[in-house]
Order: sequence, then structure tokens, then C-alpha cells
Amino acid sequence: MEKTKSENPDVRKYKLRQTLIDILPLAALAVLFAAFCGIVAGKGYRLDLYLNIIFNEGVVLAVVATGAIFIYSLGSFDISLGASTLFSATLGVMAYNATGSLPVMLLVIFGVAVGCSLLSSVLASVFHIPVFVTTVAMMSVLSAIASQIISVNGGALGGISIPSEVVAPFEPPVIKIILLAVFCVVCFFIFDFTKVGRRQKFLGGNPVCAKLSGISLNKYAIIAFVIAGVGVGLGAFLTLVYTPSVTASTAGSIGMNILVAIVFGGMPISGGPRSRIYSALIGGFSYILLNNILKLIIDSNTGYGISQIVSAVFFLAVVYVTGLNYRTRNLPR
Amino acid sequence: MKNTAVKKIVGTLAIPVLFAAVLLILCAIGGKTMIGNRISLNYFVLYAAVVMITTMALSINLNSGRFDFSLGAMAVLASVLSSKLTYAVLGGGTGSALVMLALNIVFGALLGLFSGALYVTLRIPPIITSLGVTLILEGVTFSVTGGKYVMDEVRNASMTAFAGNWYWPLLIIAAVLALMVYLFDHTRFGYNYKALMSGQAVSVNTGIREVPNAVLCYVICGALMGIVGFLNVARSSNINGGSLNFGSISIMFTAFLPMFIGGYIGRFSNDKLGYLMAAICMSMLNSTFAAFSNEVSASTQSIINAVLLVLFLIYLNNEGLLKKILSPRK
Repeated sequence: MEKTKSENPDVRKYKLRQTLIDILPLAALAVLFAAFCGIVAGKGYRLDLYLNIIFNEGVVLAVVATGAIFIYSLGSFDISLGASTLFSATLGVMAYNATGSLPVMLLVIFGVAVGCSLLSSVLASVFHIPVFVTTVAMMSVLSAIASQIISVNGGALGGISIPSEVVAPFEPPVIKIILLAVFCVVCFFIFDFTKVGRRQKFLGGNPVCAKLSGISLNKYAIIAFVIAGVGVGLGAFLTLVYTPSVTASTAGSIGMNILVAIVFGGMPISGGPRSRIYSALIGGFSYILLNNILKLIIDSNTGYGISQIVSAVFFLAVVYVTGLNYRTRNLPR
Repeated sequence: MKNTAVKKIVGTLAIPVLFAAVLLILCAIGGKTMIGNRISLNYFVLYAAVVMITTMALSINLNSGRFDFSLGAMAVLASVLSSKLTYAVLGGGTGSALVMLALNIVFGALLGLFSGALYVTLRIPPIITSLGVTLILEGVTFSVTGGKYVMDEVRNASMTAFAGNWYWPLLIIAAVLALMVYLFDHTRFGYNYKALMSGQAVSVNTGIREVPNAVLCYVICGALMGIVGFLNVARSSNINGGSLNFGSISIMFTAFLPMFIGGYIGRFSNDKLGYLMAAICMSMLNSTFAAFSNEVSASTQSIINAVLLVLFLIYLNNEGLLKKILSPRK
């Protein structure tokens, strides 16, 4: 039976295509990294400085996106994560300035991030509000409150800050790599080796069947949002480590960039069994690398627009190729 | 029969009347006037038009399970292209506003066609297509404007005359409402749209052609957002050409609350009429915010809007339960 299957050219073709699709995001990351190094070296710039920028931008996106995978695997999505990062960082700075204590600041950052996520999930689960709309409302509320706090306390500088010495011990890349690695490994373990992850993928893939099997969407949605909240907290802290000041535009684009990063990493936006934790890591760094490559190549003010167009075309091409094996007769929704 | 008609009228008008009553009382307590002069009346009607048309554009695809992030980017790019072209031809002279409006609709429809064509060709989920399209359109806008505000091209007597007369936006509201009711409730396209909305697979199996229907939906959305772009220019007398990295999506967030309110009102009459009623509610709220601008900051306004959205949705999604709790026990 197995022999017949393996000899079937259609099955072989499908499997080959699937393997290529699976390795495409990683291959794209490798190519982008090589291209980036080549361009920086070709222009005679210092590679270590540029890699540092890439790493610092990428690590925040990767951390928040890794936590967000749990939400996206359910087939939901949350566009308030950027606002939540800003809000957590803002209250963290306020807490430090009030107490002068780093542990208090960390406690506030993580508490607020998890609290915001919990509020979104409880509103959605308990009151049966569509998750997306809840996150739109949360995004408005959180960014409005953060802006208000920043404008009241920021004065003429337009931002609030903590002394850079406070976060200096966390600045070396090795510390950030450890934080990123620990978070990713924990998430990977939960997602791939516990019933939480398995059930979340089941819920995302076939919610009706999962419900009939006795799996509670509400319970796993709340767990997903809490884990995403931890990612937001870590992202907010790493944002402060990179730049110890917060303005109204801090982390502004993270919410949408997560969507792009996850898709770039080869995960379907509809969630389900094809969800992968590493998609956030690969996609996050790929997207940051691509944007920086384009900024280096198109070095003018108008170039920002052109680089965004190229980036979007590349994004659509990657999504198109990675979805080739999953075409349906009807238009996807 | 009579009871049904009364129920429909009451159901359609209840929320706007309640909104008006609450806001007028608040204004009276605060010693303010919601619409105190001709200028505030102009802005009231203009804002109602913006909200109603954005809500319609958002709902067309969203009701069919197609989320479109690119609506705001379409409005901005259509305005940039039409304002530059109009200025190049008329130099800000007589008829500039009318020509710009017409061009906005054309460019908006073309951008909608681009978005729809991309969706049906690539066959990737519409939310992802819309992310890509948003980035592309924002990129084009930035490249055309150099990231700067467009001002000279849109500041002329013709635009001022349009923004200074409430009956122009009122005319647009009436025309769009009539056209949308006709298109979606009285044509084959509208019947097919509703069939596809409620049962995609069954509709396709019965022979309804989904691709042209979807593309036409995108074209209509684009044209509507072209009008919104024009109205926004009339309101602010400039276009922000520097929005990148999804900066344009906030334009459509104003439409969420009216979309749900409109959908609720639509149960009693027609969803399009519901969107108009909801837009009037939003415009009353906006005018009240303007009256209290010294006391209520922009941040507080955002929070109030978001809280209203959540409260309304809590009611909407738990209506049955609330009725059960509040009904007298037999």
C-alpha cells in the first residue's frame, strides 16, 4: 500500500512541493541575511553596527510575534499588541520613575501586559464579542491612555524616559539572545509538546469538531492571550533596553508587523495545525532584514515609499508560494 | 400591519433619538450647544457623510468574510492622484471640487479593481491580500507626495465652497444611499452578493459566479472610499502623504461602531438606512466632542468611542440573555 503511494507521481510531486514550501521561509531568511551582509560590506559600512540594529529591531518583533502565535493558531488575531507594548512600557517607565526600583518596573510591565491581554480575552470570551473588534477597541483605549500619560509627563521633550544605566546590564546582545531563546523554547515546548498547544491547533483547524470533542474555546483563548501578554511584556522591556525612552509612536507598527512576520515565516493566518512557533522568529527577522536591505539600496526620502512597495510585493509573493498546496475551488475568506 | 409599521419606525429611530436626547442633555448641563452655527452644521453633515460611506465600504466586504485593511490607503491615494491631476488641469479654478470628486471616484474604483483583481488572481486570504495592498498603496502615496502633506492643490475657492455648504454632502449622502439600496437590494448583483454572503459553497454550486461578484464588491468599495477621500480633504484642507507602515488603517476604525449600530437598526428597516442613522449618531457625538473640546481631549474621545463600541457589542451579543434576565417571571 505504502509502495503504491510513494510511486504515485502526484503524491510525490505534492510532497516535494510541500518540502520546498516548508523550507522556503528559512531559505528566504538565509538569502536575505547574506544579501544584507553583502550590501553593507559593499557600501563599506560597519557590519557589526548594522547587525546590531537588525538584531535590536528583530528581537522585539520576534518576541511579541512568538507569543502572538498562540492567538493566531486559534484562527483569531490581535492588532492591539503594539498598543499593549506601548502601554506596558509607558507604565513601566512611570513605575520606575515613581519608585526607582527595577523589579517594580518589571513587575508593572509584565503585569500590565498580561492584564491587558486578559481583559481582551475575557471581553471576547465572557461577553461573546468578536475577538478582532475587542482588540480594535483595546488598541484605541491603550494608545489613547499611553499618549495622554506621555503628553502630560513628557513635557517639551514629548517622551518619558528612565536613566539608561538602569537597563544597561541587559544591553549586551548575549543577554537578549538568552531571553529570546528561553522564551522561544518555552513557547515551543508548550505549543508542540503539551495538550495546550495541540488543542489550540485543533481549535484553529476545526473549531466545530474541537468543541464537539469537549474542548473549551474560551479556556484556550484565555491561555493564548496570557502567553501573548507575556510576550508583549518581554517585548516592552526589550524596547526600553534598546531605547530607554517612550514616545507616543513607540512600538506603533508592531501590531501590524506581527501579522506580516507570521505570514512571512510560513504560517497561515487562519491558524490550525500548520501553525509553527518558529514562524514568528524566522518571519520577524526576515521582515526586518528585508526592510533594512531596501533602505540601504534605495537611499532617499522617496525611497521609503518604493522600499515599502517592494517589501509588499515580496510579502505577497512569499504568501502565494507558501500557499500553493492549499488552493480551494472557492475564493478563500 | 399598522403595528409592524410602527415597530419598524420606532426601531429605526430609537437609537438616534436616544443619542440625541442624551447628548443634548449633556450639552445643556455643560452650557454648550451641539450645533450652534452654520459652520458646525456644515461639519455635522460632512462628518455624517464620511462615516456613512466608510461604514458602507467596510461592511460590503466584511459581511462576506473579507476583511479589507486597504480602505484607508485607497481613500488617501485616490485623493492624492485626483488633487494633483485636477490642479494640473484647472489650477484650482472654478469646478475644481466637482472634477476632483469625479476623479476621486474613478481612481478609487480603479484601486478597488486592483485590490479585487489581486485577491481573485492570487487566491490568498483577503486579509493577507489587503495587508499587501495597503503597503503598496501607502508606498505609492509616499512616492508621489515625497512624504509631504498635499495642501496647495486642495486649497481653493471651489473646495471652500463645497465644505462651506451642508447641502453638498447631504446630496452625496442621498445619492450614495439610493445607489447602494438599488445595487444591493434590487439588482442581480445584489441578490448574488447576498446569496454568496450567506452560503458561499451552495451559491457557487448553483451557478453564481463568485469571482465577478467579489471583484465588483471591491470596485464599489474603492469608489466609495474615493468619495470618503474627497470628503476628508474637504474637512481638513490637506492630505497626509506621509503615512507608511499601515498608518492609513485608522481611517476605517471610525466605521466599526456605526457598522454594528447600523446592522442593529437594519433589522427594523434596511441595513443601508441603518448605516445612515448610525452615522448621524456618530456625527452628533463628534459635534458634542467639538463643543466640549476644551474639556474633552482627543485621547478621551478615543477612549469614549472604544468604550461605546464595547458596550454596544456586549448588548448586541448578549441580547437574548439580557431579555431573559429582564423579562418578568411568570
